[in-house]
Amino acid sequence: MSLKYGVLGLLAEEPLHGYEVKNRFESMLGGTWEVNIGQIYTTLQRLERDGLVRPVGARGDRGKLLYELSPPGRKALINWLAQPDSGPQQLHEDIYVKLLLATRVANGGLPALLGRQKRAYLQRLRDLNQLEERARRDGRNDLARLIRGALLHTEADLKWVDELAADAHGGKTE
Amino acid sequence: MTELVRLTDVTKVYQGGITGALSSVSLSIEQGEFTAVMGPSGSGKSTLLNLIAGLDRPTSGDVVVGGTDLGALDEAGLARFRRDHVGFVFQFFHLLPNLTALENVLIPAQLKGRENADSRGRKLLERLGIADVADRYPARLSGGQQQRVAIARALINNPTLLLADEPTGALDTHSGEQVMELLAQLHRDGQTILLVTHDAKLATRQASRVVSVRDGKIVDDARLESKERATSEVVRVRGEEASR
Repeated sequence: MSLKYGVLGLLAEEPLHGYEVKNRFESMLGGTWEVNIGQIYTTLQRLERDGLVRPVGARGDRGKLLYELSPPGRKALINWLAQPDSGPQQLHEDIYVKLLLATRVANGGLPALLGRQKRAYLQRLRDLNQLEERARRDGRNDLARLIRGALLHTEADLKWVDELAADAHGGKTE
Repeated sequence: MTELVRLTDVTKVYQGGITGALSSVSLSIEQGEFTAVMGPSGSGKSTLLNLIAGLDRPTSGDVVVGGTDLGALDEAGLARFRRDHVGFVFQFFHLLPNLTALENVLIPAQLKGRENADSRGRKLLERLGIADVADRYPARLSGGQQQRVAIARALINNPTLLLADEPTGALDTHSGEQVMELLAQLHRDGQTILLVTHDAKLATRQASRVVSVRDGKIVDDARLESKERATSEVVRVRGEEASR
């Protein structure tokens, strides 16, 4: 997801100042994505340059400028929402590369690495469980759905390191 | 902390090599702990639970629960131990169909010959949120209600140890959540709980300790921190850099 469409999406609700965009964006993401105000202004300027948003009226008090979505902006947003994410899967975490190197580097310690990784995933699952409950308690079902996605990913990660550990164990002569 | 369960070098061999065997397992559980035992089916996790419950005997090794060496007890002694110290919750509830919810809850208390069982049973059903179905038969209860009746039955004799073997395995997500929340509440009230599950989400929901079993051995024993973390410390949604 990119900030660009996040900003367009929020402006689709009503015209906003830069600071309001930042606050609403962060609140929508429930603390999972923090942005600085500079990024918001840069994004708004680019969107304005591309004709997707436009300022409403003149600068208000303390130089604040209100932005609204333009018709091409609305169209771009609707198109984006309709597109499935079909690009390559993103594996950001170091574990993927560590795993490959652990078998190449002498004494790379693959079983120990997998054991420690498993504990990290278990702790993350516990933390995600708590976050999901907190989100539901706060009436943030949208956020709970997002956290549920993270939870299922972590469950898959856990299953994966379990499989690798079983393989490593099975391949070891005792 | 007081040690409640100690397994020392416990091995369980099944004739014919059926899965679920255990090999030299040692484990210590403190009073008040909520421990989850996690592993795939056939890993030996249910066997572990059955040995601690006194439902089965090890081929070799010692099982000590609450200071009692289970190996030293005869069959009658084991039955008394189970009745007085252990509450057991199963995946498929195991309620007697021709008894009402309350009557099911009271079975262990009657075996023990306790006074006032009736009023304690009703109080327990109330605490578990199912007082209104006390006089219904199991067939007229939902799965979630049946499991709560089973939990009440497990608790009626104030067991030292509550053992739960896949307690949400036969329930829909919502009822499963309620049962887990109930176990969490019991743990907060001081109940020692041992939960067996193959489900990592359930294992980590309330347990402060996750013991992983594979091929009859304990392969990991993880202590989990339960302090609340800020969302950004746990999960982040990452976007591309601001678009060009």
